Amino acid sequence: MKRHKVLGLAAVGAAGAIALAACGGSGGGGGGKNTSSAAFNAAVGAVYSPSSQKGGTITFDNSSGPDSTDAGNTYYAFNLNFTRLYATALTTYKSCPKLCGDQVVPGLASSLGTPSDNNKTWTYHLKPGVKFEDGTPVTSQDVKYAVERTFDRSVLPNGPSYFATLLAGNAAHYPGPFKHRSKNLMGLTAITTPDSSTVVFHLNQPFADFNYVVAFPQTAPVPPAKDTGADYQKHPLSTGPYKFASWQLNKQYTLVPNPQWNPSWNPQVKQLPSKIIVNLNVNANDVDNRLLAGDIQMDQPGTGVQAAARAHILSNPTLKASSDDPVTGFMWFYYINSKVKPLDNIHCRMAIEYAANKTNLQTAYGGPYGGSVASTAMPPTVLGYQKFDLYHALTKPGGDVAAAKQQLQMCGHPNGFTTNISYRSDRPREPASAQALQNALNQVGIKTTLKGFTAANYYSNFAGVPNYVHSHQIGLAAGGWGPDWPDAYGWGWALFDGKSIVPAGNTNISELNDPQINKWFLQMEQTTDQNQKNTYANDIDMQVMKDAAILPATYNKALLYRSPKLTNVNVNSYYGMYNYGTLGVKQ
Amino acid sequence: MITFVVRRLIATVFLLIIVSIITFAIFFLLPKLGGQTTYGLATQYVGRNPTRAAVLQVEHQLGLNQPLQVQYWHYLKAIVAGEHYSAGPHSVYCPPPCFGYSFKSQQPVWPQMVSDAPVTLSLAIGAAVIWLVSGVAVGVVSALKRGSLIDRLSMGTALAGISLPIFFTGLISLLLFSYKWPVFPDVQYVGLTTNPLLWARNLVLPWVTLAFLYSALYARLTRAGMLETMSEDYIRTARAKGLAERKVVLKHALRAVLTPIITIFGLDLGLLLGGAVLTETTFSLHGLGFFTIQAIQNQDFPEIMGVVMLASFFIVIANMVVDILYAYVDPRVRH
Repeated sequence: MKRHKVLGLAAVGAAGAIALAACGGSGGGGGGKNTSSAAFNAAVGAVYSPSSQKGGTITFDNSSGPDSTDAGNTYYAFNLNFTRLYATALTTYKSCPKLCGDQVVPGLASSLGTPSDNNKTWTYHLKPGVKFEDGTPVTSQDVKYAVERTFDRSVLPNGPSYFATLLAGNAAHYPGPFKHRSKNLMGLTAITTPDSSTVVFHLNQPFADFNYVVAFPQTAPVPPAKDTGADYQKHPLSTGPYKFASWQLNKQYTLVPNPQWNPSWNPQVKQLPSKIIVNLNVNANDVDNRLLAGDIQMDQPGTGVQAAARAHILSNPTLKASSDDPVTGFMWFYYINSKVKPLDNIHCRMAIEYAANKTNLQTAYGGPYGGSVASTAMPPTVLGYQKFDLYHALTKPGGDVAAAKQQLQMCGHPNGFTTNISYRSDRPREPASAQALQNALNQVGIKTTLKGFTAANYYSNFAGVPNYVHSHQIGLAAGGWGPDWPDAYGWGWALFDGKSIVPAGNTNISELNDPQINKWFLQMEQTTDQNQKNTYANDIDMQVMKDAAILPATYNKALLYRSPKLTNVNVNSYYGMYNYGTLGVKQ
Repeated sequence: MITFVVRRLIATVFLLIIVSIITFAIFFLLPKLGGQTTYGLATQYVGRNPTRAAVLQVEHQLGLNQPLQVQYWHYLKAIVAGEHYSAGPHSVYCPPPCFGYSFKSQQPVWPQMVSDAPVTLSLAIGAAVIWLVSGVAVGVVSALKRGSLIDRLSMGTALAGISLPIFFTGLISLLLFSYKWPVFPDVQYVGLTTNPLLWARNLVLPWVTLAFLYSALYARLTRAGMLETMSEDYIRTARAKGLAERKVVLKHALRAVLTPIITIFGLDLGLLLGGAVLTETTFSLHGLGFFTIQAIQNQDFPEIMGVVMLASFFIVIANMVVDILYAYVDPRVRH
């Protein structure tokens, strides 16, 4: 999961087969219409204030910071978005409004990957003439090295692990190029470089979604001679429109135009402002104040303004007209563990599905502007999504007590039972959400105890450790999720496939191991037929809900303030926030 | 006197070692006693959905699979002799005092603290001057005008200063003076050597906010001390000698009151030098307090250890200075 936010909705599959109706015009480097009229949600379905004017400074504030500015060491959604300004991966997402933004398109590669050997081998050819900011030509070896270095998790721990799990050859035991460098440099056998512009990935299994995997900036080239390991984040060598001018850990970094940049290298990003400043670890309320005062132009995390600013914006028509409230593709829910007694009985799990008060959960997660009531295990942004409502979440959002009691009878606990609810106590909305759930379950006799944990070790030591979950009777665990890429596999494999269950850092906290679901995921790995994938997506979603393994809470929305000074503003569907790659600023 | 100072310095070193042992035990021993495995600990630093090989690699790399006493010994050794860390193609040398290597930021801890220290120093010292001067002055005036409108107003304000949390007064001051009436717009730390005027201008609000809390406390302490002292016999004697009231107050009464005030001042300043957490967080000042919060949020044990050690150092040193001052004033303390 891209951490924090993410998302996506309809995307083009590996074969780029789907036609997206929203891709029509020419705004922002892609499809969609343009608009210059300030209005609520103006940048959701269109490019707001299109312009090619260069110059000016855009200042981003961030109440926290990126996991790393090294493109090979990041998983935060906003940073995947932002790194496109200086790191060009083999593929990327199209810069256009609406669902068009979920389309994976060539980045550093001249075209999407060519699969062979039943989707086990993927070949990419680099665009000619691409250079690093120092003028050195980019080669396929630089791409191979960029992936190699991500194998050393003691130096670069933050990025996704897909290459380690998918690549064949010595990938399972390859330690990365830093240790025993003379032996391991260029020693990853699963990636070959037959010539300086061709890179070939050999997988240990068919994987039809591989074009999405190489869209992670882990494939942005890194020259081995210039790699400084953990310190590379201080000045990653740019292949994008901007390069680093300064970097201060946890404080600030600035970007300036990369003089080597050629727009043909990646049409999905632009080189408009003459300077980009990112201030880190700014007080969250102060970020909003500075944004509304015009001191800065963008809140980098893209997760929406704080409660105080939200009330201010929504009560002021002028401010509201300069804001957007997109569905982000992120989703809040509760895992219902299928192993912890008595929840190993499906009817006990169904009782929870019916009893939960979805309206109160929605309130806890920020109200209607924070998200809409969810009834499925996948959000509407996932390709192939179809709406359904097995447990009356939409028709009886206050909870269906009668149906819940009926399920309790069937599970052999007519008067209810006891279990525990885990949540992240330092996440502002989860304590309120857990409290709301506890109150609702109490109505049908299900007595729960709330167990709060810090977010930093929630998955590594507590809710994500099955042994701990069993021994401490954690029947329900709060969770939030965004897809790594915008199809059902990118959304759900780590949540619902039995093979994803691991002893620590587990994200399938429900411990769902349904053979039919596992089979559908396996079939998704093998097909590039988008229509077939869409069918699997709906099948999986439906089966997860039939298994009552997930209690959906809300499809997340984020109230974003759109600075009137910005140009080319549009919400990218995949990132679930403004597209940082195309922004300009009025002089 | 020299023997006393040396004795205190040796005690200080031992005290810091004890603090380090306790802190180390809290972060590394207690979780273990609670059932946490080194594998689980390493999982925190490997990102999401890690492979088992990746977790084991990190566990080994960070030395988490070594016995605790060995890990602690390495920690102490690094502080005294420095340490080499593997962080890419080349190892990184962390010179003494090396407080370890951050698992999260992948950077040595000490340079980060050194980089943040000027912010905290600027904030703490500036605020300390304000609160000491204003707190004592208000306390003295209140005591001398006991029961008057000035006294009631001052003590009422002092009560508010003590009661209102900094994250409230700070945000209100920002709202009023940075946004509504932008007297201090775009408050952010600028280095003293970079632009002294901007440095001072941008620190006015944090100084005043922080000083508001402390000066309230000092005003009440000074007032109470002054009221007690002014009723002492020697004050009456001084007045009977015909000394001017100003001299009686400043030379005789205030001097006696200042002794405990200075003691508390030393400790408060020592504590703040370890990081003014709330003020720094409210005003987005990236000092040691902010560093502490981040370290805790990230569960970055080496950073937490480092900042605890540094804060302890400041407090212990402040204590030592106070003790030395006492010994200077009262020779009986030396024995």
